[in-house]
Amino acid sequence: MKLRLSPQTLLVLDAFLEQVEDWKYGYDLSRITGLRSGTLYPILMRMAERNLLETQWEPGEPGKPPRHMYRFTPDGLRYARANAPANSSGGIGQVALGLVQA
Amino acid sequence: MGAPRKLAAALLRSVLRLAPAESRDWALAMLRELDFIEGEWAALFWALGSATAILRQAVCSWRTWISRKKASGEERMNSTGKKAIGFASSALLALVVALSMFGLLRIVALLFPGLGIEHLEWTHFLGAIVVPEIIFVVSAILLWRKRTPIAAGILLIGIGIAIHVAVHFAMR
Repeated sequence: MKLRLSPQTLLVLDAFLEQVEDWKYGYDLSRITGLRSGTLYPILMRMAERNLLETQWEPGEPGKPPRHMYRFTPDGLRYARANAPANSSGGIGQVALGLVQA
Repeated sequence: MGAPRKLAAALLRSVLRLAPAESRDWALAMLRELDFIEGEWAALFWALGSATAILRQAVCSWRTWISRKKASGEERMNSTGKKAIGFASSALLALVVALSMFGLLRIVALLFPGLGIEHLEWTHFLGAIVVPEIIFVVSAILLWRKRTPIAAGILLIGIGIAIHVAVHFAMR
């Protein structure tokens, strides 16, 4: 197993599964998943460490600091799809956390 | 910019300075996100959570580093230190066995003077030399393959006693 699939990790995987091609920001992921930075970032770090996530600095406009962005690697996408219930791109994490009825 | 946000920025900048090299990008990412967080207190909580995440990451890195150091130390110990300890302790043990046999003969001689052990040279030779030498040789042969340093330590004492006896007889 590549990553411990805690309910919080499932929430993050779920957030990435929506529009998989898009780059996502840390704060946006925090808002989507409802996870605090102290929970979210260790998950992102582990995912990046296991090559499930690619990271990139947003090319910044002048005078605007660049932001860190994240999206699935092909491996990460395969892993997330393999571990997500069928027809689920939304709701895996919520089901796991008991926020939504399975 | 309110005080909580200023505090949050200061905290994340300190974290960035102190973060280990492998976490620095992440710390910077957390700091950059601060500009997009609505709400002063939300920014502070973001910074606190981020600092915790970096601290946890640093602790994990230190633990990995310590366990690697420990493992390499144990490896070194296996190759040299352990062998030396095995050799020295087995030599010491063999010496204790030899001296114990000699001491046992002396005690028997004192407790049972009627036996006349004190005057029988062959009992000394048998009890203090032959029996320990047999024990040493047999244990060295049995241990040689799996515990070579221990066997070598025992053998060293065995050879030492044999040389001592040879010199003793040669001097007479």
